[in-house]
Amino acid sequence: MKYLKPLLIATFFLVAFFVISCERDDICPESTQTTPKLVIQAYDAAVQENRKNIFGLRIQGIDNDNVLEGYNIITEDDLVLPLRTDATTTQYSLRKDTSINNNGTPEDASDDFFNGNEDIITITYTTEQVYVSRACGYKTIFNNVSLTIEPDSDNWILSRQTTSDNQTLENEQAALFNIYH
Amino acid sequence: MNKQHFSIYTINMAILLLSCATMQAQNDSIPNKPKDSIRIQQKYGLRVGVDTGKIIRSFLDDDYTGFEVMADFRYSNRMYIAGELGIEEKNTVNDYLNVTTKGTYIKGGIDYNLYQNWLDMDNMVYTGFRLGASSFSHTLNSFQTYSTNQYWAPQLTSDASQDFNGLTAVWLELIVGIKAEIFKNLYLGLNVQLKALVTEKVPANFENIYIPGFNKTYDSSAIGAGYGYSISYRIPLYKKEKIVAPVN
Repeated sequence: MKYLKPLLIATFFLVAFFVISCERDDICPESTQTTPKLVIQAYDAAVQENRKNIFGLRIQGIDNDNVLEGYNIITEDDLVLPLRTDATTTQYSLRKDTSINNNGTPEDASDDFFNGNEDIITITYTTEQVYVSRACGYKTIFNNVSLTIEPDSDNWILSRQTTSDNQTLENEQAALFNIYH
Repeated sequence: MNKQHFSIYTINMAILLLSCATMQAQNDSIPNKPKDSIRIQQKYGLRVGVDTGKIIRSFLDDDYTGFEVMADFRYSNRMYIAGELGIEEKNTVNDYLNVTTKGTYIKGGIDYNLYQNWLDMDNMVYTGFRLGASSFSHTLNSFQTYSTNQYWAPQLTSDASQDFNGLTAVWLELIVGIKAEIFKNLYLGLNVQLKALVTEKVPANFENIYIPGFNKTYDSSAIGAGYGYSISYRIPLYKKEKIVAPVN
């Protein structure tokens, strides 16, 4: 009986100790808002209230060797673009009505090229590092975001509009720009 | 030492038995003599020591350097006034952060001995509490921006070190532990601590991921944990007599 009290206390401590040491604080949960992506919505240039799908859309970053995942010749009116955190400019090639020309060699993919209308957009911004948690570390948020459509002889993106005055990209739920085509 | 007390005990017992025997022979009209009892000398003093666990860990763990001195003073039979003073340096490194935390801490409180010692033996199974305070700083050595999308890899990496100075924290601790006298006045001890953060000064655009004395903090709660191994020496100051009731 004499030893019961210390034994109980010791047990309590041991349990508490293990509960704490087993807690996983080291994995950044997927639900956490970290570095946001830029959301752009596509609208109809003729009837500006209407959303309009872009057919055969293919998106690739300029200076990036890969197609943006999920945008390899698809039909979409919502563009979700990751921005470079190590630079203050990100450029994307948005190609519509894309088709693959295999250059007469269906077996060889290395000399394939794409047909369709390519427009290049330039997104400029300043970056700010915001602390999230010990597991996620810092995220980047983007301030003073602006989007320009690089003019060419046949732009399919006719205009763009910002959706708010405060062009800060802190979470990716809201679209920051509308494009009209 | 034990032998000596064993003989005193035996003599006392003998006297006790004799007195009982004589008492039985006596008349009831004579008032009872107070029952005899065992008188033992309890040592009171200041016990000072170091945390050997922190010293060993400093050698084994590249990311940790720490040193702690501790002291307790026997206030009464079971009650000790106790405190610790320490200095720690800890690197916290993961994929996205590399942080060095440096600081000092002080803890003070009470230990209560739950263990009923045999005669003048002086071991402890104790529980107690502490109020702890730390003054510390973080240096963010480097970090890499976290992004779920790796289309533009690698993400921004910053190697410019950033200092977060003048930080403080206060916490409460519950302790359970043991201290055993292995040689005369020399003790080995171990304890575990459960901590609850009371208040902290949080740096701007960062958080206290480690607090010296409190150890690692947790995102979900203000609870922390710790342990200690100690070696300590009791400086005997005086003795107090304790009367132990006779064994029936």
